[in-house]
Amino acid sequence: MNALFGNLTHFQALLFFALVVSVTFAFLSKREIADRVKYTLWAFLAFLLVAIGIGWLMYPFSQ
Amino acid sequence: MKREALKGTQMMGIVAALAGWIVPGLGHLLLRRWSKAAVYFLCVGGLACAGLAMRGGVFGSSAEDLFDRLGFFADLGAGIFYFLAHQIQVAGPDVSHATGDYGTRLFAAAGMLNILTVLEAYDIGRGGESR
Repeated sequence: MNALFGNLTHFQALLFFALVVSVTFAFLSKREIADRVKYTLWAFLAFLLVAIGIGWLMYPFSQ
Repeated sequence: MKREALKGTQMMGIVAALAGWIVPGLGHLLLRRWSKAAVYFLCVGGLACAGLAMRGGVFGSSAEDLFDRLGFFADLGAGIFYFLAHQIQVAGPDVSHATGDYGTRLFAAAGMLNILTVLEAYDIGRGGESR
């Protein structure tokens, strides 16, 4: 476990977080399997896009 | 597989919520929501264990400022993973590195996620929801 998660980059941690939270939200809010799969994909991509978008917006301030 | 109908009561909702808080997914297991129980246990447990493996910090009950207190309540939501945090994380927290800081957030997110599943277990248990 430590070897797997001990050296994650920020982006890898984000991917893991986005996947787990998306799956949980899908099971909380949808009943059918197809709806859950669709919702998981949609939420996962939304997490990624928003995170990359915010990262891109903050980039000038890191210089 | 056809699910057997359970007649919900207030007491069943409270028992399911308490069980779901102590062990993520247990409330749904008692309510015969097998797939939800497994998914919630794996997701909350996976997030909590990942947070601890990344040497994230766990907030104690003696937190002094408001943010630490909020962190304590978020962490407490993870139930058994909160109470066993020191046994799971033998090396102790290390938030001097970025990975440890991410771990702190992942553990708090596990607690918050479990609070949502507990609310759902309560709702199903009292008969207010058919999912």
